[in-house]
Amino acid sequence: MKELVIYVGCTTPVRLPSYERATKLVLEKLGVNLVDMKDANCCGTQFVESLSHKAFIAMSGRILALGEEYSRDILAICGACSGSLKMVKHELDNDAELRDELNELLAEEDLEYTGSSRVKHLLQVLNEDIGYEAIERAVVNPYSNLRLAAHYGCHVTRPFEIVQVDDPENPTIIDRIIEIIGAEQVNYTGKTRCCGGPLLAMDEGVATKIGIDKIRNIQNASADGLVTACQFCNIQLTQCQFGEGMEPEERIPVLTLPQLMGPALGIPMDDLGIWLNRIDSKPVFGTLQEAK
Amino acid sequence: MTDKERFVPTSDFVEELSKRPGGEGISKCVQCGICTASCMVANETDKYRPRKLIQKIILGKREEVLSSELPWLCMTCRMCEERCQEGVSIAEIFRAVRELAAEEGHIPDVFSDTVNLIAEDGWMLADSYTDFQEDDRLDLELDPNLGWNCEFSKKIKKRYIDGE
Ligand code: SF4
Ligand code: SF4
Repeated sequence: MKELVIYVGCTTPVRLPSYERATKLVLEKLGVNLVDMKDANCCGTQFVESLSHKAFIAMSGRILALGEEYSRDILAICGACSGSLKMVKHELDNDAELRDELNELLAEEDLEYTGSSRVKHLLQVLNEDIGYEAIERAVVNPYSNLRLAAHYGCHVTRPFEIVQVDDPENPTIIDRIIEIIGAEQVNYTGKTRCCGGPLLAMDEGVATKIGIDKIRNIQNASADGLVTACQFCNIQLTQCQFGEGMEPEERIPVLTLPQLMGPALGIPMDDLGIWLNRIDSKPVFGTLQEAK
Repeated sequence: MTDKERFVPTSDFVEELSKRPGGEGISKCVQCGICTASCMVANETDKYRPRKLIQKIILGKREEVLSSELPWLCMTCRMCEERCQEGVSIAEIFRAVRELAAEEGHIPDVFSDTVNLIAEDGWMLADSYTDFQEDDRLDLELDPNLGWNCEFSKKIKKRYIDGE
């Protein structure tokens, strides 16, 4: 059995707890054992990262060292967190001085970074540790007549040399899973473009325009819903649909990949936090064969 | 002077940035503009042009660049980096620019406010974590006690950001 320690980050547990819950239920169903990382801190992404590189190395470095305390690889479900942890791990593994400086700080808490725990984003766990065949075998209630668009998340897939998740120009993991659970994956213009989320702090107006641009492209491809693998992307691509210029009846449901997978794998809908989705997701879940 | 040298523009600012983590790649830029063409921020707002900002650095407009909000608008989405034929990472270069700007006191409020929150609480959303969210977590059978560590981040801020 694959064993991982999950680092949920700052945003998911507060703003999208259904993602955390669905991830846990789906991975458990697929034979992964998860424990929560406790006593963690923010990875430092964007904000700390911009002000001090060394502070950023320390924040993410401590999380990597905590993973080693559990003797497990670290599962990150947020694009920003998985990106930060992988970038910092890459730097620490290639720079002894940086590692020594971090370990000096961590020694006060009896922690040490050695590099033994790997960092995996959820998409990697599904692809590498579980595999498409096992997911296929676990499907008990497939979707039908459902067209879904995948959004991968910039920090999940780039830069490939470091994050090693999927082809950054033509990613396929979410699309393959969409097909395995009985739906149809649809391509759309600008599939690998950003959701706009990282710009919210500096310029909400432009961030929203970037999000809407993506939603319009997805609507043009006649998708019934949108599937994400990061809570930031999920929240941003939902939120932008409540801005000006989007009629309520035009909104398309945005689901995290594990929430979409859950019912197909026989996990009760009530356990997946679907009632917390801001945009009505009946058009998606209503196509489950058993729902008919 | 060889022809090659003559046509590689450079400035003290380029030299300075090249020595900082993230800034190393700047002299590889040939100003082709593919980055601007592939950038969604540039697509939605006229004020942001990554190629132009790199050009300003190459031309040595140090104060103008460091006091500008533009380097802080990069989403670090790395779309341009995927496309750049010269292997330049705008995200990394602008990260180096932001850090240098921060050292000289040019920090957008939202960045300093958020870093202060993270330093104080250990994480970003302590203020937003209310009874409502706790109830949602309980309904979802998730642990409402998030167990964040707030000591380490305080120490890190003192040491690396406040320079105490
Ligand atoms: S795409 Fe690369 S080489 Fe071209 S202008 Fe942008 S950074 Fe410079
Ligand atoms: S990394 Fe920055 S400059 Fe490059 S495409 Fe993304 S937002 Fe634009």
